Amino acid sequence: MQLSSEEAARALAAIRASREVMRSAVRAHRGHYHLWLWGVIWIAMALLAEFRGLAGIRLFPWLCAAGIAGSGILGFIQSSQVRAPVDRRFLAVLAVVVLFASLGPLVLHASPDDKALFAYIGLVAMLCYMIAGIWFDLYLLWLGLVIAVLILVGLFVFSAFFWWWIAIFGGGTMILTGCYIRYFWR
Amino acid sequence: MPDLDSIIHQPVRLQIMAALNHLGSREQVDFTFLKIKLGLTDGNLGAHLLTLEEAGYIAVQKTFVARKPKTFVAATAAGRRAFEGHVAALTSILKAKDLS
Repeated sequence: MQLSSEEAARALAAIRASREVMRSAVRAHRGHYHLWLWGVIWIAMALLAEFRGLAGIRLFPWLCAAGIAGSGILGFIQSSQVRAPVDRRFLAVLAVVVLFASLGPLVLHASPDDKALFAYIGLVAMLCYMIAGIWFDLYLLWLGLVIAVLILVGLFVFSAFFWWWIAIFGGGTMILTGCYIRYFWR
Repeated sequence: MPDLDSIIHQPVRLQIMAALNHLGSREQVDFTFLKIKLGLTDGNLGAHLLTLEEAGYIAVQKTFVARKPKTFVAATAAGRRAFEGHVAALTSILKAKDLS
């Protein structure tokens, strides 16, 4: 098969155009909606704890349930256009991590304060992000690592401002990462 | 110098492979979504997908989502290799012209 340089240039231009069309479509499936949703939930939880105390903390499970339902609905809508088949092995790994992490405080007979408990659960969530990053998309690995470090710094260095720290650097980092993925990725 | 691939070089199939190659290795795209994004008709897209599937360059999966039939399409590893080889061949033609 022989081609002139003009024909080759036209074919490469057609490839670029086709990639550009898909780029915007694929960008909508990179997870920024989930990061925005969970960023807002983290900020809401932190501000509730800061201003409402124990009454606010009691709302955390409801906010998390709303987040899980929201992520499920988003995933269903997005998978009607571009989808990746469910990886059962990955889900099994996450289930094992969450199960054993939930046993930790029981085994240690620990009754941590609210901040330490939030930090612990946050670290487990970031561990799940990092596993997802190793499995699928490296940005989740870095996001999980950065927020995990920020959680520890907030807990041990800025404990007096912990909830503000979580709102700004936990929820804020998720929202900013979502914006980066949405507007600047590739 | 890599060889041009006559199956991929057809303009519509080139569009399809460029689009599918842009997805992640585990990702699949919905037939209707792809048709709209590439500005093709059902028949046109279906015929070219069949050619690509017969060549082993794409995998087609038919399934049901919310009780509605859906067709998902993805590039295979062989398809990705063939597409990348084709792009390399096109690029080398341009480079050869620049050198001459």
